Amino acid sequence: MTRKARSATAVAIGLGIALAATGCAGGNDSGSGGGSADGKVTLTVWENAQPGAGDVYWKNAAKAYHALHPNVTVKIQMIQNEDLDGKLQTALNANTAPDIFLQRGGGKMRAEVDAGQLQELNLTDTDKANAGAAAIGGYSIDGKVYAMPLDTQPEGIYYSKDLFKQAGISAPPTTMEELKADVAKLKKINVAPIAVGAKDAWPAAHWYYNFALRECSRNTLDTAAKELKFNDPCWTKAGDDLAAFLKVEPFQKGFLTSTSQQGAGSSAGLLANHKAGMELMGNWDPGVIKSLTKDQKPLPDLGWFPFPAVTGGQGDPSAIMAGLDGYSLSKKAPKQALEFLQWLVTKDQQEAYSKAFITLPVNKQAQEVVTDSYNVSTLQAFNKAPYSMMFLDTLYGQNVGNAMNTAVVNLLAGKGTAADIVKATNAAAAKG
Amino acid sequence: MSDTLGTDPATGRQSQGTPRVGGAAVAALPTSARAAARRRGRAKMRLEIALLSGPAIIMFLAFVIFPIALAAYYGFYRWHGYGPPTDWVGLNNYKLILTDPAFHEVLWHTGLVLVLSLVIQGPLAVVLALLLNQKIRGRSVIRVLIFAPYIISEVIVGTGWGLMLQSSGAVNDLLHHLGLGFLQAEWLSNSKLAIWTLMAIITWKYIGFAVILMLAGLQSIPDELFEAAQIDGASYWQIQRRITLPLLAPTIRIWAFLSIIGSLQLFDLVYIIWGPYVASTAGTSTMAIYMVAQGRNAGNYGYGSAIAVVMFLISLVVALIYQRFVLRRDLQGAVTEGANR
Repeated sequence: MTRKARSATAVAIGLGIALAATGCAGGNDSGSGGGSADGKVTLTVWENAQPGAGDVYWKNAAKAYHALHPNVTVKIQMIQNEDLDGKLQTALNANTAPDIFLQRGGGKMRAEVDAGQLQELNLTDTDKANAGAAAIGGYSIDGKVYAMPLDTQPEGIYYSKDLFKQAGISAPPTTMEELKADVAKLKKINVAPIAVGAKDAWPAAHWYYNFALRECSRNTLDTAAKELKFNDPCWTKAGDDLAAFLKVEPFQKGFLTSTSQQGAGSSAGLLANHKAGMELMGNWDPGVIKSLTKDQKPLPDLGWFPFPAVTGGQGDPSAIMAGLDGYSLSKKAPKQALEFLQWLVTKDQQEAYSKAFITLPVNKQAQEVVTDSYNVSTLQAFNKAPYSMMFLDTLYGQNVGNAMNTAVVNLLAGKGTAADIVKATNAAAAKG
Repeated sequence: MSDTLGTDPATGRQSQGTPRVGGAAVAALPTSARAAARRRGRAKMRLEIALLSGPAIIMFLAFVIFPIALAAYYGFYRWHGYGPPTDWVGLNNYKLILTDPAFHEVLWHTGLVLVLSLVIQGPLAVVLALLLNQKIRGRSVIRVLIFAPYIISEVIVGTGWGLMLQSSGAVNDLLHHLGLGFLQAEWLSNSKLAIWTLMAIITWKYIGFAVILMLAGLQSIPDELFEAAQIDGASYWQIQRRITLPLLAPTIRIWAFLSIIGSLQLFDLVYIIWGPYVASTAGTSTMAIYMVAQGRNAGNYGYGSAIAVVMFLISLVVALIYQRFVLRRDLQGAVTEGANR
């Protein structure tokens, strides 16, 4: 009996040691690599690419970098986009964060900086020329840079050229009045004029953001990011604009419970299958649409135009809203991690990146590889824009952003007013 | 507890804490040695209790009590979840929750789901159970069919109904082809209708569980009672009213308790079908949805923790009141035993 118990204890202790050992190994695995005595360094990267071209790009980049710098091994970990934030937050708090990770920017980056979890990037003039001032500005707080941008995601309205032709629309609209007229024309050929995935809230809210971009001055938008107060009348005006636009019933039936990216019934799916004429979206949309067409090939008649001008607004009529993809370094990352990021924004890497993700690279020299007609239109509008604004829910942080998004959905459902958006946004600022 | 006490066969006394083996030997020892042996025995019993209950207690403390304590701690901070919390705000989070109109709304929705679940599912389950307790053809097939929705995972149920009830989904399409086009509706996005859609799905999903419970309850009622009543000339309805229902009452009370707890924690179906953003617009948001939307999705971990504490307290109070006043008789000898002694 006792001997049995003793051997059982021994087994248990052994198991415990084994578990602890593997636990430790696991910790090191996902944690920052750091250097070792022989100068060999392993860098871990968390990225959010989908399986396919994007993931292949990262693996190739890691291989190519290792070939150039044999003492640096880059370990790429693909993490599902929706899982990334939660995993990353846990890892940052537990001090097991990867060396390099996707940075969403805005309020989230501010919280990470406040908690001392990010490294400031000391960029050279070459880096600044490569990445471009506008994009770097999006990842700066008080003049300090905390992430290296890789692509910009300008937003505008994607449309089906065929359906526009069928409806007798000769040129994409440039003002709200023209857009309203085109909505009426599209209804006549029995397609949903505009698709929106309001179940996800943000795609609906982007309509409000763009009205705010037109109604509010650049200064108002920037100041709100610092003070989180939304008392300027332009915020209410933007909501009124949206409410007025809703009067022409531009969105598909049942848009409140439609998602934006999943399945043929989603807003991107409706556009992909010629069931809807337009969709307001960032420039990841062509990739999503491609995955939802019947043959999973790019939609051949896809076009793009910037958000129409609004009369009497304080914002510049050609200003553009754009997201950013970039990468931050955790506080323990070795100096080789920065060198890897610097290498990623060089011309050749940016070209490969742009091709893999069908996106707009921040490096102007690499922008020649952009050939799709919708991306060319986007790039022209982006290069013409006097300034670009980050999506407001990113810029103002999840807390305020979420409240704004939900309030916009309420307005769309006829349950709230423009004033309610401002009220909900101000109230949310008090909670966080 | 009483299982660990052995009755000493030699002395006929209860030898508290003394293992059964050796009981006779202990009786033969002088008093001082007996006391020592008893002490040893008692220590041994304590060790046994510690060994047997230790793992469960550790798990309970680590995964139930500790998180609740942590949530209570975080609830006093304005905290975004990065680094340790530093911005102490006292009871401000609780003040904001209790004054938030959105929270009043979710309380109302949760209360509605709670009451409607009891009112709709209870009678329906009793009737179905009575029916399925008869000897009818295909009884086991019907039982399986009624129980089937309960064993399908919430995510699958939510996704399935969510797709079918879209405005251009299968349900509206079917109505159209049946010539019932006038019945087509915005099942999910009409804020007057959505809560009833939710109730229909909840009823469909959970009625099987209630019926199984009731059936088990019915089968534990001795047949002799029915026979005696029949011999005395009681009608079918009199038998149900005077014998079945009173004897089924403990089962109904336990089912109602489970239903109430389930309603208070309702989350997954709403989250899958409406999502955290549209649920409040459609009028189906629940307390748990509010917690996730305002806490996790908004990145307000301090505020979210405070909501969790409020939810915990509400559930605790409801559960305690129910146990104290409704389940008192059923739980006699279990939870109330300590107090009665």
